[in-house]
Amino acid sequence: MSRTVRLDVVDAGWLTTYQDSGRRGTERLGVPTGGSADQHAASVANILVGNDRNAALFEVMGEFSFVPSEDVLVAATGAVRTVLVGDYVVDVWAPVVVPAGVEIRFLPSTEGARSYVAVAGRVHAETFLGSVAPDARMGFAQQVSHGDAVSVTTGFSGFRQPHFDHALFRLPVPMRRQSNDVWSVDLVAGPDAAIPGVREWITASEYRVTERSNAVGVRLDGPVVHPADDTEIVSHGVPVGAVEVPHGDELIVLGRYRTVTAGYPIVGFVTTATQPVLGQVTPGRAVRFRWVDTEYARRSLWELEASLQVLEDSVADVFGAVDLPLHRRCG
Amino acid sequence: MTALVTTPFGDAAVMIAGGGADVRTRVRTLSRMLERRTPHGVTDLVAGLDSLLVRFDPLRTTAESVIDIVQLFDATTTADDAIEATPGRTFTIPVVFDSGAGPDLEPVAAELDTSVDELVATITETTFDVVLLAAGMAPMMEGGQFVRPVRRAAQPRTNVPPGSIMVAGQNAIIQPFPGPTGWRVVGRTPHTIVDIARTAAAAVLPGDRVRYVAIDRADAQHRDGTFLTPDGVVDEVRS
Repeated sequence: MSRTVRLDVVDAGWLTTYQDSGRRGTERLGVPTGGSADQHAASVANILVGNDRNAALFEVMGEFSFVPSEDVLVAATGAVRTVLVGDYVVDVWAPVVVPAGVEIRFLPSTEGARSYVAVAGRVHAETFLGSVAPDARMGFAQQVSHGDAVSVTTGFSGFRQPHFDHALFRLPVPMRRQSNDVWSVDLVAGPDAAIPGVREWITASEYRVTERSNAVGVRLDGPVVHPADDTEIVSHGVPVGAVEVPHGDELIVLGRYRTVTAGYPIVGFVTTATQPVLGQVTPGRAVRFRWVDTEYARRSLWELEASLQVLEDSVADVFGAVDLPLHRRCG
Repeated sequence: MTALVTTPFGDAAVMIAGGGADVRTRVRTLSRMLERRTPHGVTDLVAGLDSLLVRFDPLRTTAESVIDIVQLFDATTTADDAIEATPGRTFTIPVVFDSGAGPDLEPVAAELDTSVDELVATITETTFDVVLLAAGMAPMMEGGQFVRPVRRAAQPRTNVPPGSIMVAGQNAIIQPFPGPTGWRVVGRTPHTIVDIARTAAAAVLPGDRVRYVAIDRADAQHRDGTFLTPDGVVDEVRS
């Protein structure tokens, strides 16, 4: 049996939006795929509450808090550092119960850019071309603000546990946190990797994320080598993760909200498996690149995928054992 | 027939380009084919003027499989097949051509050693073919008959109003939303060309043909904001 619960948003930080895994088949219409900048953290948050990986959830920059009208099951991942249910500190990267009328607060760490907050069930949000993800260029803002009442249709009807100060479940959560100050991203060679010296420069250098970075592209300050001939490149399609060398002294790594065509030299492509890392960088963050081949890129993506499938199976087992509902279309 | 050049673009995309003089038609034909019969694992197609980027889910397919299918389609399809399948529609788009709506009319006319009236005549006598939708579903078209290619703006404009008709090279494009551009702004249509509240948000699609017709400001006011429809179609779904 499902019911509709209201979430009263108290604090929406400096930018909270509805997101999901983005659009499919819309780039031929000039509309970029969009979706959560850190797809891995977003998937994990959804899986932890028994949702489909690509269900609608909140992407939060800064602090976020709401009060549910009924008990809800919530999980927060990504940059989040502390979650408070009322006065209790609860686990991050874990499913937690929020009782009706109690405020849940998500406090960010300085180590990442975006937190993901999933609620068991279906979050009601407008869609455009099959996705709740915003498209600012087309006036589809999808911003969540202080005072908003968000509806969630959920099969969750409460779950009793004696205390909030220990974990509800022990789940095999694939938390990806970069351990060092310098974050590492994998690159496969691009059409302009043959510019003399460019591969060596990129391997040897440390790049710094600039203030002008966003979901359209991460801009990196550091050594840049330009092609010797200044011929205009005819504008062509560019994938998410393309590392462009524009005319200035910076590199741009294209994000999920990029303009889908461009005409700059491309020295490499950030692998699908490590693109989520760039969804968490903040200005000033040091980034290093590591050249890999497509076979390595494929293997690391499959490892990541396996970790998500293991988590999905564990959640299905545990939720089944204690009679909690799953909100997945299959599995 | 020379084979198309297929290059993996990262671990989740393949770029298709090159391969002789007929490459544009072949790439566009392929694009139509792939839209109609999207191979397993292919997530998105991005058209360039003479290229096609095929994005795929690397957990569901590989660059090798995508390239095989592309080569097979290319070898077994003729342009006639694909064009027959998507005949396209014709639009007659009313445009205000004056210095307010088209601040680049005079400089472009000067660049082409002609008068503003002659430039407007050149534009309104041309049938443009819509090649692709650029950012924000902006219909980008080719077929311009300018005496030589129009240069891009030296200094991009920061905020061009929606409906602006813009030219560069032998191409034209309509700006659907307010925003910056490096194209030269020559006029403005009062019609809405993209409305995200509609199921079919974009009025104009690749494969359509466009002609521009000059109207005055009074006529423009009368049409202001109404959704653009192809010739012979009346808009029934008003949002």
